[in-house]
Amino acid sequence: MNNADILMGANLSKKYGSLEVVKDVSLTVKEGEFVSLVGKSGCGKTTLLSLLSGLERPTKGQVILNGKEITGASEEELALFRRNHVGFIFQSFNLIPTLSAWENVALPLFPMKMTHEQRQDRALELLNQMEMGHRTEHLPAALSGGEKQRVAIARALANHPKIVFADEPTGNLDSATGDAIMIILSELHKKQGMTMLMVTHEPELAKTANRVIRMQDGEVLA
Amino acid sequence: MNLHYVVKELYYQRRRTNISVLGLSVGIALFIILNALSLAYREAARAPLKEIGADITVQRPGNVPQELTGAVFPCSAVTIRQEEITKIEKIPGIIGTGKAVLVWVFDPHRAWIVLGIERDNPIGPAILRAFVTEGRFLEDGKSEALIEAGYAQQFGIKVGDNISVAGRSFPIVGLVDASRAPKIAVANLYLPLKDAQAIAVSSRPLQSVSPFAPGDVNLLFIKADQQQIISAAAAMKGILGAKAVIATPESFLKLLGSLFALSDKFTLAASLIAMLIAILIAFKTMAGNISERAREIGVMKAVGWTQQNVTMQLLMESVIQCFAAGLLGILIAIVVAFGLSFMTVNIPIPWEMSPTPHFLPGGGVQLYKTLRLPVDIPLKLAAFALLLSVLIGGITGALLGRHISKIKPSEVLRHE
Repeated sequence: MNNADILMGANLSKKYGSLEVVKDVSLTVKEGEFVSLVGKSGCGKTTLLSLLSGLERPTKGQVILNGKEITGASEEELALFRRNHVGFIFQSFNLIPTLSAWENVALPLFPMKMTHEQRQDRALELLNQMEMGHRTEHLPAALSGGEKQRVAIARALANHPKIVFADEPTGNLDSATGDAIMIILSELHKKQGMTMLMVTHEPELAKTANRVIRMQDGEVLA
Repeated sequence: MNLHYVVKELYYQRRRTNISVLGLSVGIALFIILNALSLAYREAARAPLKEIGADITVQRPGNVPQELTGAVFPCSAVTIRQEEITKIEKIPGIIGTGKAVLVWVFDPHRAWIVLGIERDNPIGPAILRAFVTEGRFLEDGKSEALIEAGYAQQFGIKVGDNISVAGRSFPIVGLVDASRAPKIAVANLYLPLKDAQAIAVSSRPLQSVSPFAPGDVNLLFIKADQQQIISAAAAMKGILGAKAVIATPESFLKLLGSLFALSDKFTLAASLIAMLIAILIAFKTMAGNISERAREIGVMKAVGWTQQNVTMQLLMESVIQCFAAGLLGILIAIVVAFGLSFMTVNIPIPWEMSPTPHFLPGGGVQLYKTLRLPVDIPLKLAAFALLLSVLIGGITGALLGRHISKIKPSEVLRHE
């Protein structure tokens, strides 16, 4: 692993019963890089993202994230690791329906030792950055799809992550809104140097990234 | 644990919060009411004794008088000797005693139910002081009499008259309204204890059935430590013999016949069933709520919440719901208790304690002490119910929280 590599997956395999979803995949992501993982539905890209982000354990292989070997970590260690180093953006936003926009952004900060004001300030700062300053007190049900994803992006950034994993971030949006979200992600990478690994099934969106990794049938194509 | 999040979750999920709170609160209310009813019956059972300032009354049944002339004892109350009283006073838990002598006096032209009382003793019939409607109460050292107002009216006896009883003369100094007085130890003539004892001592028919010495009595009123009433009553049986009639709140409770009155075990079993139902409702509703939130919990864990963080969050939600359910349960119980307090209970007075000879008019009529059921919710019971409710919340929340917090985020987030 190179010093500049923030993420390395080595010989990763994942089996569900007899079905091997990820087959001996190795890849690295450098700090500040925007990598997209592209492939058809069911090719194993979301599973690979889960393995690389510590959401799921590989059947075989090793993941080193921000210098830490995470495959042997306990669930609690992984949770703390994600809290401190990782941000997630999901296809279906996964906002908590009972929390307002700013509270959803602050969700990763709730278990941290911070004052209510500190959490709120950080959440409002990020929502303003996402041009959502006017919707901070709204519940998710009152937000459009694009607005929800902006909130979800802000939430992914709340803990100052080293890397953001985005799983089909535009999958539930119309094309115009999806384009706007992609611009935000691109800006994050370009202006803030955010390292990103994005999963998408749309080759056009994948082109936004610096590097595109293609997957088919659980394998990374050369 | 984030209290802000807890409150918002409970507020915005009002429907499921309300179902949980209502379900549990009904169980808590039922638990309180069952126990309050049991306490109310116990309190009601104490009433006949309490109103004469005692916790226990003691009588010894004996033989029927051979002839009904002069002064005789009712067969339900014959001599309790002075040395037996001294032994009773030494039983652990006995706080004080009140003595009385009840004699039936069959004079040639009139029958008297005479009760000899200790005028200054708050334990026993001296409580009649409060029911003097005309004249005054007995004075210390004087041989004088009080007469029951109804009896006085029937026979045209007035305050200031002199009456003759068993060959002794007594001035009437006051009228007593026995209809308002306690049902136990009522008579139509009240004398100082020493005078009644003197009548008994000098009565040949009485002595032939039940030898009676100065200082002996035939009615004992006892004030006892509430915790030791049963053991004290058992000890008294040991002194006076198994046939002694020892009236305690427990014995009145048995006469009441209610399920609540009959058995502590019934109350305990019913309370447990009520709580079990409440727990099941709370558990089922909360389990449903939590499983609905599997995805939410998956997100929480994905963004860095540990298992302990999630468990604490769910535990706090559960505890707050159950605390609210406890408060609501207490409120419901107070309202129900208020409604139940309009119920009346008739406590039968055992025939042994009726002072009137059964062969005289009214003597065979069953006496009842009627009172409104004193349903009250003691602070301790309410506090215990609230604590129990919170405990249910804690256990339910901890168990469910611990179970659901083991969920792997990838398992619930995979199927988008």
